[in-house]
Amino acid sequence: MAYEITVLTTMAISILFALSLNVITGFCGQVSLGHAAFYGIGAYTAALLTKSGIPLALALLPAAAAAGAVGFVVGMASLRVRDDFLAITTMGVAFLFVGFVRKQEMLGGEIGISGIPSVAFGRPGLLALSLLCTALFVLLTVHIRRSWMGFAFDSVADDEDTARILGIDVPRFKLWAFVIGTAGAGVAGGLYAHHIRFIGPDSFGFLESITALVMVIVGGIGSIWGVALVAAILSVLPLFLQFVDDYKLLLYGVLVFATVRYAPGGVAGLARTLAMRIRR
Amino acid sequence: MSLLKVENVTMRFGGVAAVEDVSLSVDQGEMLGFIGPNGAGKTTLMRIITGVLRPQTGRVLFRGEDVTRWPVDRRIRAGLALAQQIVKPLASLSLVDNVALAAGAHRMVSPLAALLRTDRETERAKAGALLDFVGLGDALSMMPTELPLGDLKRLEVARALALEPVLLLLDEPLAGLNQGEARAMADLIATLAGKHRGIVLIEHNVREVSRICPRIYVQDNGRGLVDGRADEVLASPELRRAYLGEELA
Amino acid sequence: MLLLDLGLQGLVQGAIYALIALGLTLVYGLLRILHVAHAALFTLGGYVGVIVTNGTGSLPLAILLAMVSVGVIGIGVYRFCYRPLLNRSPLVALIASIGLFIAAEEIYRLVFGPYGLSFVTPPLQTQVEVFPGVFLSHARLLVVGLSVVIIGILAWLSGSTRTGVAWRATVSDPDIAASFGINIEKVRYLNFFIGSALAALAGVMVALLNNLVEPTMGAVPAYKALAIIVLGGLGSVRGTLVASLALGVIESFGTIYIGHLLDRDAIAFAFLVLVLMVRPRGLLSRG
Ligand SMILES: Nc1ncnc2c1ncn2[C@@H]1O[C@H](COP(=O)(O)OP(=O)(O)OP(=O)(O)O)[C@@H](O)[C@H]1O
Ligand SMILES: [Mg+2]
Repeated sequence: MAYEITVLTTMAISILFALSLNVITGFCGQVSLGHAAFYGIGAYTAALLTKSGIPLALALLPAAAAAGAVGFVVGMASLRVRDDFLAITTMGVAFLFVGFVRKQEMLGGEIGISGIPSVAFGRPGLLALSLLCTALFVLLTVHIRRSWMGFAFDSVADDEDTARILGIDVPRFKLWAFVIGTAGAGVAGGLYAHHIRFIGPDSFGFLESITALVMVIVGGIGSIWGVALVAAILSVLPLFLQFVDDYKLLLYGVLVFATVRYAPGGVAGLARTLAMRIRR
Repeated sequence: MSLLKVENVTMRFGGVAAVEDVSLSVDQGEMLGFIGPNGAGKTTLMRIITGVLRPQTGRVLFRGEDVTRWPVDRRIRAGLALAQQIVKPLASLSLVDNVALAAGAHRMVSPLAALLRTDRETERAKAGALLDFVGLGDALSMMPTELPLGDLKRLEVARALALEPVLLLLDEPLAGLNQGEARAMADLIATLAGKHRGIVLIEHNVREVSRICPRIYVQDNGRGLVDGRADEVLASPELRRAYLGEELA
Repeated sequence: MLLLDLGLQGLVQGAIYALIALGLTLVYGLLRILHVAHAALFTLGGYVGVIVTNGTGSLPLAILLAMVSVGVIGIGVYRFCYRPLLNRSPLVALIASIGLFIAAEEIYRLVFGPYGLSFVTPPLQTQVEVFPGVFLSHARLLVVGLSVVIIGILAWLSGSTRTGVAWRATVSDPDIAASFGINIEKVRYLNFFIGSALAALAGVMVALLNNLVEPTMGAVPAYKALAIIVLGGLGSVRGTLVASLALGVIESFGTIYIGHLLDRDAIAFAFLVLVLMVRPRGLLSRG
């Protein structure tokens, strides 16, 4: 039973993390190569708070706020730089985060933070909390999709200049995408810290950012259930297959490459095509 | 009252002055024809008015306010709309959604308000009516990539109209249409001018422009040449000179 | 002497950055693709260099073989990875490139083993006193010397040969270049060959300096070189050179003076983010 709980918690947290990037990259079309920084900010914030005695359920709010606040700043940056420049800026932010954390005594420096307390009701409690957060975030993104905010995001992702000519306040919508996405990553990070119970600078490196991006792209950019499905599978595959654990990056690399090359719509796109074939 | 005032605007690209010291005004309820040879700087002037381009010198006043430093979307929400010469459909949205988005843009000043609103039916209905109006009534759920250029031009017009502008800028809306279609479209545009709405119509099709526009402004090589009553402008020597070697010579 | 020493170390590092980043700039200038996988070619160059030197005892032969073989593989990367994606959004190619890069790192780990390789007898380790009290190894001098020579050759090639002119024409407007009968595809092949050969050279140089090649040695250069070409204004060769040297020097001073706040890599990216906030289109851009 304990094993199943671990697996499910891992899945839930990964889904939340991937879906949070999906808001920025999938919905709003802003590529971020540094999403793990926000995951990390949430993790460190929540870990420090729970270590000082605050229950995780409460600590997740400041974790989201801290990640969202930094996300707001990076979002401001996204208004100054575009496309390729933005991709590299977000990547820079991720390296900056890790480099900063490494040198901070208070955050445990290279060694990181260990002895993160367990959650009320232990592992099942954490699973319940993770499922709740992830479910809420799924509902939020489903709602965004249907709302006029999602409509505006569609236009920004499609062509910013045209969106502006149609009267859409592009910068404000981009900022919202960044804040929602990074706050979501902050919550995921807070949960992750209490799942692993040990965090260090290396837990939030560039590869974590890429992992999230892989999930979004392979799942199908912008598709909620496609991204969730792929996040769920990719996050727990290494637990079941030693081979996948050893060659995770090779698998990710090949998957991403094959997706953009042969199935640009990702899993969601493939499913749509398949559904259409069957209906005929 | 003057709806739009362009004052001594100059826009250079590198060494080339695409628009040079141009001044122009459009009144409420006015229908202005805007002609000039290729490369005259017509599109550039429209881009300056909407804020896509920032001129090196000069000002743009809209409804009495200096909007020179306003971003594009703010000008649009203040009542401007542009149907672009080079069509820019949002390729991932169907025709209705392209138009419905524009129809709802005014309500989306705040992202929070946008987040709280899910109903698209009002705007879709309005979009459907507008698409019908421009002659695309049977293509509502088609994707822009499936349409020929002439139809995309119509889409541009419908989308601009959905913004319910006080000043409508149309950059060559008749291009890509055959003679009969152009005539029908021009008639349709003529019905759009109202008591409160001004229209600027850029066209190479001088026949249609002179038919529906009481006033015509001519630009050549970035400079304003003549501006006045259509019949006088058409008879003026400046116009002949500008078009020497072109259709009127 | 510390200042001079730091400055020199910075310039050596900057020269290596320049060798890597030049190839990236060439690719970006031509195809508007952020070619992350370039760093995989850099790593491969390092491996070929070490293996051939250990096998034959000749460093020059190793450098030559590394440059040629990696250059050819670079052409392959273009032909099979980027060309099919050219008409898609440039971000697609960027993502594909990241995929290719992380896959390549794993393949090196599989093929060459996870612990890295070293020279059996590390060449060029003799120290020379370049200024009183300031020592540089032959290897470091070679890095600087080779960079200067190669950049000089490239400047000459692009300025005064037919190929160079064709290349510049293709960069500034591929359609017009094609209408003048320039074979764009050939220019691209050449571009990838030269860029990848330079990356291989940088790989061998880094192998010399550290006496080590490992599967992940490309990771940091990959991202830093991206930062550099972005700093340089994307596609500008001059900007890239300036940014490489500036970054090398800033890092070398930064590690000493603000090393307690940020680690070396973070300093580079702090510099990047700061510059982009003030000049969103790179160091040398106007406004
Ligand atoms: N973004 C730009 N960069 C450089 N030059 C430009 C740019 N936009 C326009 N130009 C130049 O400015 C001049 C005016 O162009 P513009 O498109 O405004 O003319 P136009 O009157 O709309 O012509 P047409 O009737 O062909 O549409 C042309 O010489 C054009 O090449
Ligand atoms: Mg024009």
